[in-house]
Amino acid sequence: MSARERILERVRDALREREPGEHPGAFEGWRPSSSPSPGNPIDLLASMLESAGAEVVRLPTEKAATSWIRTLTTEFASVTIGVTVPRALHPPISTRGSHEAELGVSMARAAIAETGSLLMDARDGRRSQLLAPTHVVIVRAENVHETFLEALRSVRDDLPSAIGLHSGPSKSADIAQTLVTGVHGPGRLIAVVIGVGS
Amino acid sequence: MSGHGTPGGYRQQSAETIRDRPQTRQSVLSGTDRANDHRDHAYADIDSDRWRDWGRDVKTHALTHLDRYLEEAERSLEASGVRVHWAETAADALTVLRGIVREHDVKSVVKAKSMLTEELGVNEHLERLAVHVRETDLGEYIVQLLGEPPSHIVAPVMHLSLDDCRRLFHERLGTPLDGDPETLVAAAREALREEFLAADLGISGGNFLVAETGTVALIENEGNIRLSTSLPRVYVAFVGIEKIVPRFEDLAGFIQLTTRAATGQAIGNYVSFIQGPRTDDEVDGPEEMHVVLVDNGRTGLLADDTAWEALRCVRCGACLNICPVYRQTGGHAYGWTYSGPIGAIIAPGLLGLEKSMPLPYASSLCGACADVCPVRIPIPELLVHWRERAVDAGLTSKVEGIGLAAFAAAAAHPTLYGAGAALLRLAPWQSAGRALPVLGGWMQERTAPEPSPKNFRALWRDGIE
Repeated sequence: MSARERILERVRDALREREPGEHPGAFEGWRPSSSPSPGNPIDLLASMLESAGAEVVRLPTEKAATSWIRTLTTEFASVTIGVTVPRALHPPISTRGSHEAELGVSMARAAIAETGSLLMDARDGRRSQLLAPTHVVIVRAENVHETFLEALRSVRDDLPSAIGLHSGPSKSADIAQTLVTGVHGPGRLIAVVIGVGS
Repeated sequence: MSGHGTPGGYRQQSAETIRDRPQTRQSVLSGTDRANDHRDHAYADIDSDRWRDWGRDVKTHALTHLDRYLEEAERSLEASGVRVHWAETAADALTVLRGIVREHDVKSVVKAKSMLTEELGVNEHLERLAVHVRETDLGEYIVQLLGEPPSHIVAPVMHLSLDDCRRLFHERLGTPLDGDPETLVAAAREALREEFLAADLGISGGNFLVAETGTVALIENEGNIRLSTSLPRVYVAFVGIEKIVPRFEDLAGFIQLTTRAATGQAIGNYVSFIQGPRTDDEVDGPEEMHVVLVDNGRTGLLADDTAWEALRCVRCGACLNICPVYRQTGGHAYGWTYSGPIGAIIAPGLLGLEKSMPLPYASSLCGACADVCPVRIPIPELLVHWRERAVDAGLTSKVEGIGLAAFAAAAAHPTLYGAGAALLRLAPWQSAGRALPVLGGWMQERTAPEPSPKNFRALWRDGIE
């Protein structure tokens, strides 16, 4: 008998007399009845991200985003760009390997308002999401979900090798409980939401 | 140097911590105060009773169908190209790791923070294989440099002060002795970035494993887990068999519940959902992924009709933060990987009851832990359960067993109980107490209160004044 069989056998033995529990159904994120209504998902996304230390920019169109990115990137000498970022949004500066670039630009597949999270798909490229000290993440307003549950349901049937939820700049409070940003991942996170009035 | 004790040395290790390292108590009190404050706020924003009921119920469902979900997880993982291994013991898990190290001629490893790999002794094993292993979570990196184990499930260096860290970083990374936390972190980032880029193998644990999709879910704040699971060519996740959740969408609840309980955040800064090695339409990510499903005593806990509830644990550390006993010493005094209340109730399952003594007694049974547990583990009941088992197994002092037996006999006979109680009320406590062996010394400096002449039932009947 293999280790697998022995483990499964012990599990079955242990459960023989145990009363089975029912799955309680979907997680609905219950809030106290007194809490204020969450409001517009994009406002909630922005306020959650900002309270975690990220910057948020809202732009009405992709064209507006193109010009915003051109202005921003004058601050940087080199960029690494995710493979799903539309060409119009590529900054006009030299591209470098992810471990050398000053700026990373990625496309989020979705966003979650209630947690302030940008849902990053591995098909966009993982290194460009992680290695540069500043990370610009673009997300389209129609892909912003109010709840975590809705966002997971939207991607469940088409999963890449990995998803990363990014909800703020990299941080740690390990040393003397003092919050420090930019530990391993990007120390500056800028979320750009396209498709809303600025 | 601390943290190399055993559960058996708990009393001595606690006393030494409090006597010899008073700064530890200061650091742990302030760290746990912050964590408790953050968790209280995070629970106040939600209907925490309903969230915790939901967490308890999904975990109970998963554990009572564990065989079915383990098989489903294995199928899902294999369908995405993951190699699945089953390990009955720590030694088996390490044998799997040695096979991977040999197959790929691994020279260097980057590790994401994982309590299971602490439990298994992964770092020591890799060092024996002459593999360079680097902990990459900032707190884990610090304890690795110090040669200590982590002292808290979530915050590995909660026991250290800023000055402790300054001295260490000064010696090892050349930062100034008065460097602020930003300076220390920048030095660690630079040192570790090189190691991330060079490593052959990445290792992580797993907060959750989804049966439906084979997803290994990991929660963190720094980004080191994302890097450890993304950059090296080969990636191995060690996952305890109890970490299974049935559906992908269950993660929506568990990720939020766990981080609210652990640090009070709405969500960990980075969450990874890993389904497999890189696919043909991806530009990077590991080419090979292994998942090692680890038993190492968990099926033994599952077989215990009372203690199995401890397997719901999501390792948030809330029970450590709130525990008045943990808060006095931090985690090293407990002498093994999992400290605090949760450690005391899983130790007998994972180490055996005898080797776990006296951890089930390292609690005042105040019940604060059960009040904050995100999956409603009845921790005080399980502590009492292990104490009863310890008495049955003859692992406690004879006096406790005899005392409990005498009380049980008297309590079952009202006349005997009444007579015994009357005798105790009339006993000359002050003088007799000072003449007692052991207790006598303690009594020399203390006075005993005068017992009431009437017993409580008589007082109640006559009306308490």
